[in-house]
Amino acid sequence: MRPRSFEYYAPSSLRDALTLLSKTEDAKVLAGGQSLITIMKLRLAAPSALIDINGITELSYVREENGGIAIGALTCHDELSRNRIIQAKCSLLAEAANVIADQQVRNRGTIGGSLAHADPTADLPTACMALNASIITRSEKGSRAIASSDFFRDFFTTALKQDEIIHEVRIPIPPPRSGGAYTKLAKGHNDFALVAVAAQISLGSGDSCCAISIVLGGIGSTPTHATETEKLLRGQVIDDRQIRQASLKAADGLTLNPDFRAPTELKLKLVRTLTERTLRTAVSRARGGD
Amino acid sequence: MEETETSKEIEINVNVNGKQYQQKVPSRMLLVDFIRDRLELTGTHIGCDTGHCGACTIMLNGVTVKSCLLLAPQANNSKVLTIEGLSADGKLHPLQEAFLEHQGLQCGYCTPGMILSSLFLLKRNPTPSDDEIKKAIDGNLCRCTGYLSIVKAVKAAAARIGLGSLDQ
Repeated sequence: MRPRSFEYYAPSSLRDALTLLSKTEDAKVLAGGQSLITIMKLRLAAPSALIDINGITELSYVREENGGIAIGALTCHDELSRNRIIQAKCSLLAEAANVIADQQVRNRGTIGGSLAHADPTADLPTACMALNASIITRSEKGSRAIASSDFFRDFFTTALKQDEIIHEVRIPIPPPRSGGAYTKLAKGHNDFALVAVAAQISLGSGDSCCAISIVLGGIGSTPTHATETEKLLRGQVIDDRQIRQASLKAADGLTLNPDFRAPTELKLKLVRTLTERTLRTAVSRARGGD
Repeated sequence: MEETETSKEIEINVNVNGKQYQQKVPSRMLLVDFIRDRLELTGTHIGCDTGHCGACTIMLNGVTVKSCLLLAPQANNSKVLTIEGLSADGKLHPLQEAFLEHQGLQCGYCTPGMILSSLFLLKRNPTPSDDEIKKAIDGNLCRCTGYLSIVKAVKAAAARIGLGSLDQ
């Protein structure tokens, strides 16, 4: 299994990469390559050119700025899982990054690559959507900020245009008394998700829920909000009974794609159970426990 | 595997186990093929060739990667460490010794990858628990020895090495 032949470019600046991308027909951007090289070896993809951005070190960073966390597109999963800012301010992202594949893949795979690949069973798209992340793109024409809820369009399909590169992922810092959690169930624990749940909650006075986001992975063609459960909890005083009741509705209104790994009925049950578990953890963290 | 297309060639400079190599490679050549076929360092194995089994694990600039999921040109101006680089002076590395003593291998196919993943773990965490070892070798499949003796071997190596002597 070897890829089809292609032109290989390794620009050292973002500007050079954007120029190459705009003038090269049928080019793909190569970040960590943990999915792209695999599908090229299987000849599911055969781009005529690869633009390897790994030499653009300015794209790897995690910074706190303007009430948000700015994560450079080339930041690898291993860094996401261990970074102190991410652990402290949006721990669900660290938790999701820590269960991606294995150490070797986490050392190499990047947040920008994972979002651009848009596998609906992958961990970071689900986590980023639950955290209400924006995806900042660059092209020769300028920059765009795309809400993660608008970014994922279909299986392996995003709002990215052919001449655009993901530059940064921006996550708004949740207010005090917020908590998040990520739970994944897979056939092997380092496999792609059968079902994954990312939940982020903010509590106000008297433990009332002032913001909630529950996103399901492995369900449809993109990460999907559990809107019924969100609706039932938003504005309510949160206790275990509420969580349980609301989680029973987590699978309502979902359209599941057929999955050869598990029957739909099982996946619907998993959605409800994992939503409840994930919410309990998120709420406990919002209250200051762990 | 010798490649037929030669038009899209890239010149690369790579330091492998302390030795500098300069070669022209096809853009599509995988790093594992460069290591095995061009440099004849066949200690790095190809198991599944799909990024699952970890037999091709090497260190690239100090971190473990699967060399079947990288292109050779991506290693340009980088430092590669393969299993051959661990026992450079003819003396086995403490991890290799521990794998021998604790029967951490049977057929040996996964062993180079296992040892490099274990080395990466010990560099970060010189006193790992059993669970930490298991997580660290998550990306390395063994189909004969079983993992218990591998975990034992890594623990024994950690005890032997102690702190601060893993500068490889």
